[in-house]
Amino acid sequence: MNRAAIAAAAILLAGVAAAAQSALQSKARALGIELRDGAFRVNGWAPPRAKPSGGWGTVFLVYAGAGKVPPLLGAYAVESGALVFHPRYPIAAGVHYHAVFRAPAGAMVTADFDGPPRPTNPIARVEQVYPTADALPSNLLRLYIVFSAPMSQGEAPARIHIEDEKGKILPDELLPGEELWDTSFRRLTMTFDPGRIKRGLTSNRTIGPPIQEGKRYKLVIDRSWPDARGVPMLQGFARSFVGGPPLRTPPDPQQWRVTAPAQGTKNALAIDFPVAMNYALLQRMIQVARAQALVQGAIALGNHEAEWRFTPAAPWAPGDYQLLIDTGLEDLAGNHIGALFDIDMFEKVTKTVERQSVTLPFRIR
Amino acid sequence: MLKGPAFRRAALAASAVLAVAIVAIADAPASLTGSLKAGRLQLKSAGALAFGPDGVLFVGDSMGGSVAAIDTNDRTAPKAPVSIAVDGLDAKIAAMAGVPADQIVVNDMKVNPLSKNVYLSVSRGKGPDAQPLIVKVDAAGAVSNLSLDNVKFAQVSLVDAPDSNPSARQDPRTTTITDMNYVGGNLLVAGMSNEEWNSALRSIPVPFKSAAPGATLQIWHDSHGRYETQSPVRTFVPYMIGGQPYVLAAYTCTPLVRIPVGDLKAGAKVKGQTIADLGAGNQPLDMVPYKKDGKDYILVANTAFGLLKVQADHIETYPVIDSPTRNPGTAGMPFEKITSVTNVKQLAQVDSSSAVVLIAASGAGPAYAPGPPVGPMTLKTIALP
Repeated sequence: MNRAAIAAAAILLAGVAAAAQSALQSKARALGIELRDGAFRVNGWAPPRAKPSGGWGTVFLVYAGAGKVPPLLGAYAVESGALVFHPRYPIAAGVHYHAVFRAPAGAMVTADFDGPPRPTNPIARVEQVYPTADALPSNLLRLYIVFSAPMSQGEAPARIHIEDEKGKILPDELLPGEELWDTSFRRLTMTFDPGRIKRGLTSNRTIGPPIQEGKRYKLVIDRSWPDARGVPMLQGFARSFVGGPPLRTPPDPQQWRVTAPAQGTKNALAIDFPVAMNYALLQRMIQVARAQALVQGAIALGNHEAEWRFTPAAPWAPGDYQLLIDTGLEDLAGNHIGALFDIDMFEKVTKTVERQSVTLPFRIR
Repeated sequence: MLKGPAFRRAALAASAVLAVAIVAIADAPASLTGSLKAGRLQLKSAGALAFGPDGVLFVGDSMGGSVAAIDTNDRTAPKAPVSIAVDGLDAKIAAMAGVPADQIVVNDMKVNPLSKNVYLSVSRGKGPDAQPLIVKVDAAGAVSNLSLDNVKFAQVSLVDAPDSNPSARQDPRTTTITDMNYVGGNLLVAGMSNEEWNSALRSIPVPFKSAAPGATLQIWHDSHGRYETQSPVRTFVPYMIGGQPYVLAAYTCTPLVRIPVGDLKAGAKVKGQTIADLGAGNQPLDMVPYKKDGKDYILVANTAFGLLKVQADHIETYPVIDSPTRNPGTAGMPFEKITSVTNVKQLAQVDSSSAVVLIAASGAGPAYAPGPPVGPMTLKTIALP
């Protein structure tokens, strides 16, 4: 076989091609394989009008792994008189591609290509962990960890630790298993073991609650946690907190202090809660309405999630307004309006399963 | 991903009780595959798997907030008992998908009860851009992709239209579908939300109807200090107890609960009973019920405890655990640890005497919380112990 490295100049990514001249070659262009615009193209061979009985895979395959592996998934097309293989997924970093073309008449050409190098530059860090207060209730239920960049799934149990005041890692504080990410993989929800929180349960009696009142703890998130590209974070994260008294009273909107701004301004409406509330639910479970219509605006939180602020898109008009509060709104212990987390409300909800909302009136003067 | 009003309805019930949205316990249709339409199925993710009749595969799409029923067109029974052994399964899948093997995540695994071929739901990548694949492994160990480009399918959404915050670029609410099973004409779907604290067990009539959120049904657990009413179902299986169909559900840290299927009717009050406690600090992964030498067992794969063989003979006679157990950690049905097979990440039943396991070492991490599986992954058939 008359070998020549002809295709090398034609390929976009680094690749080495060994080409064979084919007697059947109908074009002046030499037989070769190029990788262009994410597709593998056989040059110098005129495909027949009808595809071979076994499909184009009988003449042209691309492999993306070593050893005995199935070929790369994708679809074939004849474009501008050339056979082209479009991989199902984009050309990926760190992958080596080996393309094999075998003409029906026996001429064969192979070519090798490398995807771009895998990234190594760290970009991710922990932006915030909610709740943000220094003192957290001993029956704290959930943590929301917000990252600056999308992260890799599957790593949370190994990369998040709770340490006691001596720096000893406390196992079994958080629920293992399923990681609850948002769709951007930038916000992770972690849950303290509810079995250890709930009064009267085996875990609660034998090993106690995960956080004990008066004791100091440190939440540690390892820098080694790979982001979605597989690169460790820029830096780790640590925050100390102290166990506070448990929350045993369901949130009661009647206890909230509502501060209404003056008419004609775009000043924020503020609600001060007696205790911090669930960060995620505060983003959507309180709405402002006037005359049956929702008021548009932006929500912000303050005072370690014990303050909710609403800045209207348009200046406040004078008159009567309502705060529409979803009764699903939880405090840090999972108590929601009208119900405690660890009290069985079964009998009370058999009649209705509609989520209710309560309203809190206020007036703009 | 369950969102919006329907989910909030479920959430209210689940705030005190485990909720089941259920329309009716219907009989299986004469031909489920006949109800499916050909076309291109687009999934955002592929997670929990379950097989129904006629080789129909159900795929839970947590990121898309939906469940799909797919005609695998794979109904030929094997000529001989199937024994599969595939080394480096992750590398083979990675080669098909065109990524390094460390970017392959196997989310679930089930065996087609007709053909005995193994199906795996896979993520190509570990972040938000991860692509879903359904991978098939046949008796010869050949690894292939179940193409969704032109397949007979039906899809049902678990979500309602996004609401509340039009300024939010991306709704952060998701519900992870933790497990699914086809039971008596319905697909039972267990899920867990990343926001409201609740868990939901939905029952979706099969074939899917376009919009049938149905009534909400409540399951109450009269034991274990009301724990299960709030906790997510991690894995569950249909199970006959005393000639009656039940669902046997395993929760985190690790109670086993029986729930009578006959009670799963709209508006009914359903009582679940804790009949075993496998211990704390552990997550159940999969359960396989089987019979051996005339005795009933359930093989349970776990994150921390490995494989546990639970004695299930006369399961109806086990007393309900209705108070915190005296024996710290474990109670109820006796069980033994199986040490001959370790590092099991997925377990699925093949037939009455065998199962397939996906084996991989755990990644770096502390002993109590090992890192995610690292390759090479091995898929193999084991005899049920």
